[in-house]
Amino acid sequence: MTFNKRSVITLVILAAIAVCIYYYFVVGGITYIWHWERIPQMLFYHGSKSADDPAVHLRMGILMMGFIMTLKISVASIFFAIIIGTIVGIARLSNEPITRWLSMGYVELIRNTPLLVQIYIIYFFVGSMLRLSPFVAGTAALAIFTGAYVGEIVRAGIQSIHKGQMEAARSLGMQYSKAMRYIILPQAFKRIIPPLAGQFISLIKDSSLVSVIALADIMFQGQQAVARTYYAFEIYFTVALLYLVMTFTLSMATQYVERRMAISD
Amino acid sequence: MIRVKNAYKTFRTHDHREVKALVDFSAHIKKGEVVVIIGPSGSGKSTFLRCLNRLEEIDSGEILINGVDIYGKNVNINKVREDIGMVFQLFNLFPHKTVIENVILSQQIVRKRKREEAVKISRDLLHKVGILEKENNYPSQLSGGQQQRVAIARALAMHPKIMMFDEATSALDPEMIGEVLDVMKKLAREGMTMAVVTHEMGFAREVSDRVVFMDSGQIVEEGTAEHFFTNPIHDRTKLFLSQIL
Repeated sequence: MTFNKRSVITLVILAAIAVCIYYYFVVGGITYIWHWERIPQMLFYHGSKSADDPAVHLRMGILMMGFIMTLKISVASIFFAIIIGTIVGIARLSNEPITRWLSMGYVELIRNTPLLVQIYIIYFFVGSMLRLSPFVAGTAALAIFTGAYVGEIVRAGIQSIHKGQMEAARSLGMQYSKAMRYIILPQAFKRIIPPLAGQFISLIKDSSLVSVIALADIMFQGQQAVARTYYAFEIYFTVALLYLVMTFTLSMATQYVERRMAISD
Repeated sequence: MIRVKNAYKTFRTHDHREVKALVDFSAHIKKGEVVVIIGPSGSGKSTFLRCLNRLEEIDSGEILINGVDIYGKNVNINKVREDIGMVFQLFNLFPHKTVIENVILSQQIVRKRKREEAVKISRDLLHKVGILEKENNYPSQLSGGQQQRVAIARALAMHPKIMMFDEATSALDPEMIGEVLDVMKKLAREGMTMAVVTHEMGFAREVSDRVVFMDSGQIVEEGTAEHFFTNPIHDRTKLFLSQIL
């Protein structure tokens, strides 16, 4: 990395802004006594679980439990969103009009209503009919929501593959489904990794909304911790950092996969 | 082996104009025959080939392959296609598969051959088209001529009864046309039934049994290559030949 004159000027300006912010909040604006020392024990602590289980171990704190829950719901939602999205993406390109209209209706309905409303509908309406747990309802809501976007990405990916590929596969006697599976989708998925990664990063962040149905994710646990301790600044910064750990890891992982798959280009 | 009777095919362009690709078109190809189809662009040559394996569907008429109406109700088009090899102008190799995997894939999926058997057949064919040393390369690492030879091997791996070539050398740089034509000539001499859309008159002269000149969706004139180069009858044929020779 080389620094030229313009980089130096940029750094000076950024430093000036940082100093201003520091003085405004810490010196001039509000008086707040920071309690960062209380955060680590919300991640991990040495202690006993309860009176029934007095053994002292290293245990997960409240925020770490939320982190694990967010991880679980994100992985499950991404898994189902890929399945839904692939089916919807193929259905959008079907020759059969009813299949095409149904998939289009799904995409438009889901994309044009707020996720928060969908979570409430799925948990309180569908969930109470089918007796869904918050986890199942939350996963369903996120997967259905993201599936609509993934469907559009998959459709665009399939359409970006030259039609000669399908023709070559079909002229060799492959059925449409086999040609899709072995020829079109592998190439399409390689192309749509960047927009898919963006969509899944959104999903991880949007998963914070499931805290409204009392699913104990990071956001929910963070709110609980704030309610008990009033350390709102420290806790929400930590919550943000935990989300960043997940999204940044996913971002790096997809870049790695992208580089690996570029070998046949 | 192949008989087309009174086929019509009309395309609708994006601005809703109608383009008549085949007009009351009839043709036949006998077993072991090498037929070269020539004609100006838009004359329906490619459409003719593409209708033979239903990559395009004729609007009316009949196409019989070995006596079977391929537009019949109970016809499994995938079975029909297994016996018709097709080579495209733009090769259409599968870019995410290595050369040998390109040749193996449909053998395993469609012909249900065992992997070892498919590998052996693929190696033999790649050797035949002279590109075995590139078996583990990806198509993007090959020249156009090499890619087209792999595409020919891929089609041959299905052990087709007829091979169709849709302007197989038109997208190639001049110095690579020869290597692809050589493979096609070798096939022709081995007795493969072939339908070849091409502008390569040398190929027609050397190996074709019959040349068909198409214009405006119909056959204008047909005969031996000799006939075409010495005394074509129709004015349109003469005009076309004078333009390309």
